Amino acid sequence: MDRLFKRKTLDNGINLYIHSTDKFKTVTVCAFIHQNLDKNTATRTALLPFVLKRGSHKFPSSRYISLCLEELYGADFGADIIKKGERQIIQFFIEMVNSRYTASEDKILDEGLALFKDVILNPLTEGPAFKKDFVEQEKDVLKRNIEALFNDKFNYAIERCFQEMCKGEPFSVYKYGSVSDLPEIKSEDLYDFYKMIIKSRPMDIFVLGEVDEGQIYEKLNNLFSNERREEKIAGTVVVKEVEREKFVEEKQDVNQGKLSLGFRTGTRYGDEDFYALMVFNSVFGGGPHSKLFQNVREKESLAYYAFSRLEKSKGLMLASCGIDFDKLEKTIEIIKEQLDDIKEGRISDYEFESSKKSIINSYKEAEDSPAMIISLYLDGIINGVEESIQEIIEKIRNVTKEDVVKVAQKVKLDTIYFLNKM
Amino acid sequence: MNYIGENLLSREFDNGLKAYVIPKKNFNKVYAVYSTKYGSIDNEFVVPTTGERLKVPEGIAHFLEHKMFEMPYGNVFDKYAELGASSNAYTNYTNTTYLFSTTSSFEECMRLLLEFVETPYFTEESVEKEKGIITQELRMYEDDPEWQVMLNLLRAMYHRHPVRDDIGGTVESIQNIDVDALYKCYDTFYHPSNMVIFVAGAVDADRVFEIIGEWENKRGKLPQGEIIRTYPEEPDTVNKPRIDVKMSVSRPLFLMGFKDNDVGYDGIELLQKEIITNILLEIIFGKSSLTYEKLYEEGLIDDRFSFGYEGQKGYGFCTIGGETKDPEKLKDMLVTSIDEAKEGGLKEEDFERVRKKYLGDYIQGFNSLEFIANSFVSYYHRNVNIFDYPKVLKRITFEEAERRLREFFDFDRMAVSTVYPK
Repeated sequence: MDRLFKRKTLDNGINLYIHSTDKFKTVTVCAFIHQNLDKNTATRTALLPFVLKRGSHKFPSSRYISLCLEELYGADFGADIIKKGERQIIQFFIEMVNSRYTASEDKILDEGLALFKDVILNPLTEGPAFKKDFVEQEKDVLKRNIEALFNDKFNYAIERCFQEMCKGEPFSVYKYGSVSDLPEIKSEDLYDFYKMIIKSRPMDIFVLGEVDEGQIYEKLNNLFSNERREEKIAGTVVVKEVEREKFVEEKQDVNQGKLSLGFRTGTRYGDEDFYALMVFNSVFGGGPHSKLFQNVREKESLAYYAFSRLEKSKGLMLASCGIDFDKLEKTIEIIKEQLDDIKEGRISDYEFESSKKSIINSYKEAEDSPAMIISLYLDGIINGVEESIQEIIEKIRNVTKEDVVKVAQKVKLDTIYFLNKM
Repeated sequence: MNYIGENLLSREFDNGLKAYVIPKKNFNKVYAVYSTKYGSIDNEFVVPTTGERLKVPEGIAHFLEHKMFEMPYGNVFDKYAELGASSNAYTNYTNTTYLFSTTSSFEECMRLLLEFVETPYFTEESVEKEKGIITQELRMYEDDPEWQVMLNLLRAMYHRHPVRDDIGGTVESIQNIDVDALYKCYDTFYHPSNMVIFVAGAVDADRVFEIIGEWENKRGKLPQGEIIRTYPEEPDTVNKPRIDVKMSVSRPLFLMGFKDNDVGYDGIELLQKEIITNILLEIIFGKSSLTYEKLYEEGLIDDRFSFGYEGQKGYGFCTIGGETKDPEKLKDMLVTSIDEAKEGGLKEEDFERVRKKYLGDYIQGFNSLEFIANSFVSYYHRNVNIFDYPKVLKRITFEEAERRLREFFDFDRMAVSTVYPK
C-alpha cells in the first residue's frame, strides 16, 4: 500500500506522520490534539489554542512570537479549533520556507520547531495558572468569534440548521462552545484542564516538506518529550432514522432568504457505501453539473448559489441556497424533486460521469496542497480508515449508478431551516 | 529566473495575444487563466472598429463574464464537468479572468477555454434570465457587511472615479444591459491584443504554445491599437471624510483608508510603490508592532484585523481595519500611531525584518498554482513581471520608505467607513 506518510511513534506515544517531498517550497508541521465534542468541555477546550498562542516562556507575548516568525522569513503560525464529526480538535500549525530558497544560512526549521514546541508545551504561567490577562482577553476574543457567525449569514444558516437538526446530540455543539460558559472560566482551572488535555488526549503531529525522516524524528522526539498517559476517546454516533421532518424559521433584517436543508444519510466515512454516497452528493448538489445547480440556479433562476455537502463522520448532508423570500415553497419543492429523482434512478450519464470525474479531480488536486493532504489523512485517522488517495480514487471509479440509487434510499430529510426577513 | 526554482516561458502570437507558462512537473494539477484587461471601471470608451464613443451601464463587465459561459450548444460549465475539470471566472475593477483547473484532459480543457472566451453568444432571452441570477448575487453582497464597509469606504474616498461603484453594478443598472451593449463591450475589450493567457502546473510549455498557436492562427484577427478609455476627472480631495451605515451585525465594522494621489503610472515603479507602502503598513500595524499589541490587549481588534494597499495606474488606496467594539477609539488610536511614526521615524531593523517576511511570503506563494496565476495576471495587466518582485524588494531603501510614509499618510486624504449594528 502506497501510503504518503510514514507513521512513527514518539517515545511518549505521540503519533508522528512524515512525508518527505521537495514538491513544495515550505515545510509544514501540524499538531492535532483530539477531544470529544461535549457541551460541558467545549468552551474550555476552544479557549486553549487562543490562550496558548498569546505567549510562552521563551516568547512571552504574541508580539515576540510575531517578531520571531518574521525573522524566519514570515513563517505562518496559527492555532485554532476544528470540528470533525463529534470531535473537537485543537490544531497548531507552522509553515516555514525551505531555507534553500532564501539563499541564507538561517536555521529556519530548527528555530521554527523550537517556537512551535514552546507555544504548545511551555505556556506563560503565573503560579499554577495561565497568565490571567491572557485568559480574560481571550475569553473576550472567543466570545466575539462565536458572535461573528451572526454576521456571516451564509455560514450562519448552515450552522443553525445543524444545531436544530441535532438538538440533544453532541454534534449540535458549536466548535467554539458557548458564550454563556465563558464568565465562570478561571485561569487556574483552565491551566489544570490544559495539563489534563496535554497529558491524556491523543495527539498527532504531521510533517510535510523536504526533510530527512530520521533527523526530523529525532528533533521532534527531543522537543516533545513530555510525560503522557493517553486515554481512549469516544467515536461519533450516527443517527439513521428521522422521526418527523422539522421546519424552523428565524427572522432577521436581511435582504436575501437563506435556505438550508439537513439530511441524515445513515452512512459515514469507513462504511462500505460511503464512496457511493460521495457520488450521490455530487449528483445532487456537488458542483455545476449537479441537479441543484442545474435546476435551482440554471433552469429556474432562483438562486446564485445552490449546493450540497457531506459531513463525513456524522453521516449528514446539508443543502443550501440563497433565494428571494417569496420563493421558499417553490425552492423546497424543487430540491425535494431532485432527491426523489435520484431515488427513482433518474440520473443521466452526464450527471453520473461528471460527478465521479469531479470527485476524482478534487482528490488529485488535494495532493497539490500541503494543508489538504494533511486534512484528508486526519479524516482517515478519525474514522479509522487507512487508505491512500489513489485507493479512494479507485473506489470512486468502481461506484455504479445502482450503488448511488441504493445509497440514496437511506437519505432522509430531517430539518428545513429558513432565515427570513423581519 | 531560477532564484526560486521556477521557469517562466512566453510566446507572442501574430494577432497580438501573449501566453506565459510556468511548468511544475511534480504537480497533478494544471491551472490556466485567460484574462482581459477590462474590469468594472471601464464604462466609457471608444469602440475601435467604428470610432463610436460609448457609455455603458455599471456592472456590464461582470454581466458579460456570466454570459460568456453560454455557448450556442449550451453551457460551458457542463463541458468542463464532462471533462472532469472545473471552471470559473472573476471580475474585479480592472480585469476579467476566466479559468479552469484540471488533473486530466488538459488539451481539451485548454481548447475549450480558447473556444468559449473567443465565442460571444448572447440572446435576448438568456440576457433577461441572467438578470435574475445576478440580482440574487447582488442581494447576497447587500447582506455582507465586509463588502458593504469596503464599498462605502470607496464611495467616501472617490467623488467620481468608477472604483466607487460596485463591481456587479446595481439591481437597477443591470436592467439596462442588452445584447447590443454586450457585443460592443466584447468586441472592444476581448481583442487578443488586450488579453493574456497564463498556464501553471503539470504541462509542457511548448505543447501549450502549439495548441494556442494552432487555434489563434485560424481566427484571422489582426493586432489592434490601444483602446481609448475615459475616466472622469477625480479631485485630489476625498469625497466625504466618513460614511456610517447600520446593518444586521453583532458588532461594528470599521475601515480606514488613505487615497493615493501619486498615481498615473504602472510598471516597475508601481510595484516599488506597492511594496514600500505594504511594508510601511506592516511596520506600523502588523502583528509585531506595538500598535497591534496595544489595540489587541484593549479588545479593540482581533486577529482578523487587516490592512493592505491596492495600486492601479489610475487610482491607489490603502485600507486598515476590522471588527471593533469602539470604532471611534480605534480610529483615534490608528491616527495616533501614524502620527507617531511620522514624527518619531521608523526603525531600520523593523524595515529589514519585514523585508525578510515579504521575501518568504513571496516564495511561499509559489506553493499554490492559484496564487501564482492570479498574481501573475494582476501584475501583468499593470505592466509588471511577477519575477521582478524579489529584485525590487531587495533594492528598495529605508529612506524611500520614510519619504513615502510622510507623503502618503496625509490626513486630508483619509476617509473612514463604519457599519454599526441596528
